[in-house]
Amino acid sequence: MKFPYQMLLDYVQTSLDAEGIGDLLTMAGFELEGIEEVDGDKVLDIKVMSNRGDGLSVFGLSREVLAKDPKSSPTKLYEAAVAGFPGDEWPVMSPSPITIESKECNRFCGLVLENAGNGSTPDWMQKRLKQAGMRPISLLVDLTNYIVLELGRPMHAFDFDKLKGNRIVVRQAKAGEKLTTLNGDEHELKPDQMMVCDAEHPVGAPGVMGGLETEISESTTRVFVESAHFLNTAVRKLRKQLGLNTDASYRFERSVDPESCLQGLRRFHQLLQEAGVSPKVVGFADEYPNKPQTPTVNVRVSRANLLLGMPVTAAEAKGYLERLGMKVSGDGEPFSVQIPTWRPDLVQENDLVEEIGRIHGYDRIPTRLPHGTTLVSGTFGIEAFIDRVREEVVRAGFTQIISHSLRDVHPLDANGKRIMPRNPASPEAAYLRNALWPCLADAARRNQGEGLALFEIGRTFTANGERQELAVMTVGELLPVHWVKSQSPEADFYSLKQALLDICHQAGVTASVVAPKSSDPRLHPYQQAELHGEGGAFGLFGRIHPTAAEESSLSPDTVLATIDLERMFASRRDDIHLKPISRNPAVRRDIAILVDEAVPFASIEQTIGKALGGELERMWLFDVYKGKGIPEGKHSLAVALQLRKLGENFTDEEANQARDRAVQALASLGATIR
Amino acid sequence: MSQVATVESAAIQEVQAASSSAELRAIEIKYLGKSGELTTLLRLIGTLPNEEKPKFGQQINEAKARVTALIEERDAALKGGEMLAQFEREKIDITLPGRPWRIGREHVLQLTANKIRRVLGGLGFRYIETPELEHVNYNFAALNYPPDHPAMDDQDTFYIDDDTVLRTQCTAMQGRIFEKVKPPLRYFTVGRTFRNEAVDRTHGHTFHQVDAVMIDEGISMADLKGVLELFAREMFGENAQVRFRPDFFPFVEPGVDYAISSPKFAGGRWLELGGAGLVHPNILRAYGIDEEKYSGFAFGLGVERIPMLAHGVDDLRHFLENDLRFLDQFTSEI
Repeated sequence: MKFPYQMLLDYVQTSLDAEGIGDLLTMAGFELEGIEEVDGDKVLDIKVMSNRGDGLSVFGLSREVLAKDPKSSPTKLYEAAVAGFPGDEWPVMSPSPITIESKECNRFCGLVLENAGNGSTPDWMQKRLKQAGMRPISLLVDLTNYIVLELGRPMHAFDFDKLKGNRIVVRQAKAGEKLTTLNGDEHELKPDQMMVCDAEHPVGAPGVMGGLETEISESTTRVFVESAHFLNTAVRKLRKQLGLNTDASYRFERSVDPESCLQGLRRFHQLLQEAGVSPKVVGFADEYPNKPQTPTVNVRVSRANLLLGMPVTAAEAKGYLERLGMKVSGDGEPFSVQIPTWRPDLVQENDLVEEIGRIHGYDRIPTRLPHGTTLVSGTFGIEAFIDRVREEVVRAGFTQIISHSLRDVHPLDANGKRIMPRNPASPEAAYLRNALWPCLADAARRNQGEGLALFEIGRTFTANGERQELAVMTVGELLPVHWVKSQSPEADFYSLKQALLDICHQAGVTASVVAPKSSDPRLHPYQQAELHGEGGAFGLFGRIHPTAAEESSLSPDTVLATIDLERMFASRRDDIHLKPISRNPAVRRDIAILVDEAVPFASIEQTIGKALGGELERMWLFDVYKGKGIPEGKHSLAVALQLRKLGENFTDEEANQARDRAVQALASLGATIR
Repeated sequence: MSQVATVESAAIQEVQAASSSAELRAIEIKYLGKSGELTTLLRLIGTLPNEEKPKFGQQINEAKARVTALIEERDAALKGGEMLAQFEREKIDITLPGRPWRIGREHVLQLTANKIRRVLGGLGFRYIETPELEHVNYNFAALNYPPDHPAMDDQDTFYIDDDTVLRTQCTAMQGRIFEKVKPPLRYFTVGRTFRNEAVDRTHGHTFHQVDAVMIDEGISMADLKGVLELFAREMFGENAQVRFRPDFFPFVEPGVDYAISSPKFAGGRWLELGGAGLVHPNILRAYGIDEEKYSGFAFGLGVERIPMLAHGVDDLRHFLENDLRFLDQFTSEI
């Protein structure tokens, strides 16, 4: 809220300048957002917390200044405001023109004045309104605006003679009723909406905006000034339904003091007179069916000391609460505190502990380290597992990206229903990602799409809920081009396969690569595979489908993987048993075989493994050849066998026999030695 | 001159004249090898009278020793020279680019989270992650938000349906923890949060938060300040200080906004980092925690804010755009 510093001086006698007041309010919880000079005066812009509606006025902030700074003192105007601006008694209208039928209206006061509008707003008031960012309109409107700024009390002026039956009825709207608000909008009303009505129909949206039909004008002779109190939840509901955010609704939602109804009207009358207008008071009415309870809350000074962690004496605590307008009795164990009507946020002991601490000063809280129970800290479970996986992916040479989960659709999205917010921020952020590949694709494009090895660990969202996933992508040269050797290996299915198996192994998951039962349309149909663990499939990888590549502006050589980290976690093993290490030397035998290309290498591996058993320490493929000298449909494979025994050396003879056994076994696959 | 002396002096001459270690090796074989000239002189021993034999043998051995020593000496000199020559031939341009090796790296937000996690883990907090797609109850009601309260307007929320939101704050973890764990407890999370805000340099609809909660006997605002100060010192440097200012969050009472000041940053200006306070008694009561016995604190802060302060990142949007020219600049934690 914005107000000129001069206005505060009406209420507080202080040696603090505008900056000093700004600092003081900031440390009281009313943050200074800025000070600007407008029309020769300093104007403060203060952010008021959503539970402190009482701070949305110069009077309310003056109370905070006086509580926080014992050197400042109240002015006569402040004391008059506290007393409710007493003046001549007004004749009470009988019968009352006001009827309250709605439970959402606590109080409704009206003051009817004759010949009130034939004056002009004093220059000083116009200046202050402008400084606070408001536009002067006419005396009566300006007065209500000024009183909102000064006292935080919203009011509304009706043309009394336009109110049918000269009556006000606060009731729920009837089906089919309409209201045209001051801004010209017509609203169809619903029966759950409280309305300010005259004898016949709605004339104002309570706490939000008045009606156009009963607006005051130059021809107005009798004005009905409304000063009322409505439930904050009712005002909030109504302004949402009507789609009207107004200064009044903002204040009512954050609470307005019901006891200030009369204070507002008194000030209105007083300022009108100060403006040189002496209207005739036709009459006054006050319907107050729901006078709020002023609760009593206990606070123990000892508890305040314990929770604040700083010493505050009972006398100090009492002083702070009293300066904030509370009535305090008792010896401090506890104090019994009567809560003022403008502070509905104070309902229990901690609330008062905060008040005591706030005024005493949070800068006086010492620093201390908790001494208490020692607990096991750090990271365990799936959180620790994901940390481990991330470390391994980084170690395998991938660069981490972190992307938006709210995004647009993408050709690399997973199949299935997408989750989307009802109220998206923009079309580019309308969906929750159901896969991480689109994020990697975006990052690849942003970085020229070549020579990249990227990964992301993040959450994806489907109709089945939220999942934690790892996705990796490589495209182009695995290593940057170098002057020593200009050719670098290119990323392909096999480079990704090995990286994934290494990552899984290092993370304690024994993974196998399995051909998928049905192929994923985002990947090349014959260059894709699943990663399986003890709990079944947990990952998918392969080369991008050329169509998806084109649609995503990616190279068709891009390879991608996605891993469900929760499923991978469920597949991890923690049963490593050390195998004995042989001290005997290993021998190597190589075999070159001619075999149908259709025979998967895995069968060859399994066949050799079965034939040689535990004596086969390791085997690896070191050459694949086809072309000249090799029949069509076949290829030649060169496989190295590393053999070793525990406690005994392999003789040449035994090694040769082992090789022959392998070759014989391979015959079952149609393989012949070359 | 004896025969031995003649051979020896010839050998010495040749050794001294040798110009390479290969030549030297040939000389060594010529004189000291199995059929070398000095070695073969020993055969003459049979032609000598018995009393001269030991002396002759000694002469030969002494000569061999001298020649051997000389060869070694000469060899060392020659080898040194040859190595120097080889070094000259092997001279390279050390300013040519290094041979590439693929290094993986973590994202700057990850590096920041890692450091936060190390510090808070060290302070006795246990790390936990809870859903981003959260039940509205954990995000608001469980955190003492009154139904339909303006406090919710402070956090423009993405609703998926009436019951599900994208969490607006990581504090949503509290209800999930209190349901499962009895005090004393200390937990924290680092996670993603969402608010329906217009995107500009300092605002985004997606950002990351740290949120911590501790409940034990006799926990006060002073403990909160102490933990935050230690945290700030680990994150921002030895002399970092913490300042509290009253603020309102429904889930804490008293509630504060805390700022840090460190000589390392912004000339020691106070920089607001996040919100904190004592866990609201309504929340303790709702989860059956004895509020007379236990009290606790909670605090939160934005993750992005830390690299922004530490590295001068001036636009929030950089973080999730994944431009490697941006990401590659961050190699240390902060």
